[in-house]
This record gives sequence, C-alpha cells and structure tokens, in this order.
Amino acid sequence: MIDHDDRASSDDALESLIRGAAPTSFSPGFSNRVDARIRADGSLSLSDALERQVRRVLPLVAAASLVLAAYNWWNARGSSTSALDAALNLPRVTLSAAYEPSSLYGGANSSVGTP
Amino acid sequence: MAETATDVELIARARTGDDRAFAALVDRYERAVAATVIGMLGPGDDADDVGQETFIRFHRALGSFRGESSLKTYLVHIAMNLSLNALKRRRRSVLRFVSRDQQKADGDPLDELPEPRTGPEGDVDANELKILVRDAVRRLGEKHRAVVVLRLFHDCSTKETAEILGVPEGTVLSRLSRAMKELESMLRPYVHAGAALPENLR
Repeated sequence: MIDHDDRASSDDALESLIRGAAPTSFSPGFSNRVDARIRADGSLSLSDALERQVRRVLPLVAAASLVLAAYNWWNARGSSTSALDAALNLPRVTLSAAYEPSSLYGGANSSVGTP
Repeated sequence: MAETATDVELIARARTGDDRAFAALVDRYERAVAATVIGMLGPGDDADDVGQETFIRFHRALGSFRGESSLKTYLVHIAMNLSLNALKRRRRSVLRFVSRDQQKADGDPLDELPEPRTGPEGDVDANELKILVRDAVRRLGEKHRAVVVLRLFHDCSTKETAEILGVPEGTVLSRLSRAMKELESMLRPYVHAGAALPENLR
C-alpha cells in the first residue's frame, strides 16, 4: 500500500514537472513577425480572392452559355445547318454567301452591296 | 480593450480587416502555439517559422472559421499538424545528408541527458530543470511526444488529443503510458515525489 502511494505521488511529481516545463513563448517580437508575414501574404491573397470570384461565377456562366446554345439550336431547327453551327448561331457559309458579305450580318442591308 | 474582448468579438473585428484585433489574438494564443511547436520541434528558427505559419493559416481561414471548436483547440490542431510535417521534412533531410552510422551516434539514448547546473547545495536551478525536461520530451519518439505535448503541456483531454492526432482514445492512453515510463527513466534523478522540485515546478 505504501509502495502504491509512493508510486502515485512519484507519477504526480513527474506530471507536474512536465506540465511546469511547457514552453511559453517564441523569441521576442513574434507578433510583429506574424504581422509582417501576413502583410507579405497580402499579394497572394489578392490572387486567391480573384480565383474565388471566378469560381463563384463559373457555374452561372456555364449555365447561361448552355441556355443560349439551346435557344440558338431551337431557333435553327429545320434548317440544314449542323447542330454545332446552330448552337453557336453561326451563319451558313456558302460560295454564294461569300460573294455577298452583307449577308453575313443578318441580310438586313443585303441590297446595299449587290449591284 | 482588446484584452477584455472575447475571441468571437476579436475574430469578427479581424474579419473586417482590423489588424489590432488579429494581433490581440496572436498575443493571446502565442503561448498555446509555442507550447505545441517548441514542444515538438525544440526552440529555434524552425519552430518560429511553424508558429508564424500557424497564425497565417488562421488568418487565411478567418472567413470560414465557424467556431465549432474553441480557438485554442483549432490553433493547437494546426500547430500540431504543421509541426509533424516539419518533423517529416527534417527526417527526410537527415536521411538524405547524414549516414545511418552518424544517425545512430546522434540518437536519443535515454541516459545521455546533459547534466544540469546545480546550486551550492546541489539543488537544480528551476530554469535548468525546465530545459532538462523539455530536452527529455524531445527525446521521445514523435508519436509519444505529440501525446505528451497535448496531454501535459496543454492539458487536452484524452478525447481532444485523439481528435487532434486522428487516433483512437485507447492509442492515446497507451502512448501516454509508454511515454511516461520513458520520461521517468530519463528524469528519475530529478523526481523524488516532488521533494527535489523547485517551488514553481511542484
């Protein structure tokens, strides 16, 4: 019993010895060094912020592009243009159209360029 | 003002770019981070860098810090992970540049703690004893050292220690038990049921 008590008190003494030896601070000026590093880190955080913004709007831009492509394709249904051309709303390029440059701009002034 | 503000208040102010609020947090938790980092790596530039990096990571995460754990636990967690990474880097560098024979010669024999300076009556100076104990803790293996740092330097519970280290609670207890045995054998001459301890270490 006495041995057990001695053992327990020795363990307690060892524990308190270790607890009392915990390091308490870095070398003086630590807070200033952290501040300086954070300021130096500021240039990096700008690019991080930009990246974050781009990531935020990326799904919106992708969704808008898909809607626009679907709208173009729907409007061009029944015509002979390919699905990709229709989705991108590209005008048909034919040999005759090449001689009528104005037709590339919607044909509103198609008579202007023709003799 | 900053000394009386709560962590939540200081964090809210730091989020708005208040540098003084963040500096107050650094001052408040330097001790906790130092105990972790210096306990794991020993004093020096390496530890200072890891300490700074801990607060820089926290600064970057200010916006996403939700306060699910206490700030102290959060910082100690980061500090411990960074310290373990630093130890890995250090080990790789040692393996690269030092031969195995040299490593054995520089190993951590339990019986080679430096003799502390003693006073006229043979008593050990309190600071000398602290240095000796820290040296003994650093001679433990990384896994045992991490448990001692968290359980005894920080007074973390077994559960908190297990969460920070990502191991089961039983593992924490067994590592602590082994670590204490090693420390006892290293520090036996200085532990006589508290009789030989300086007043401030009892």
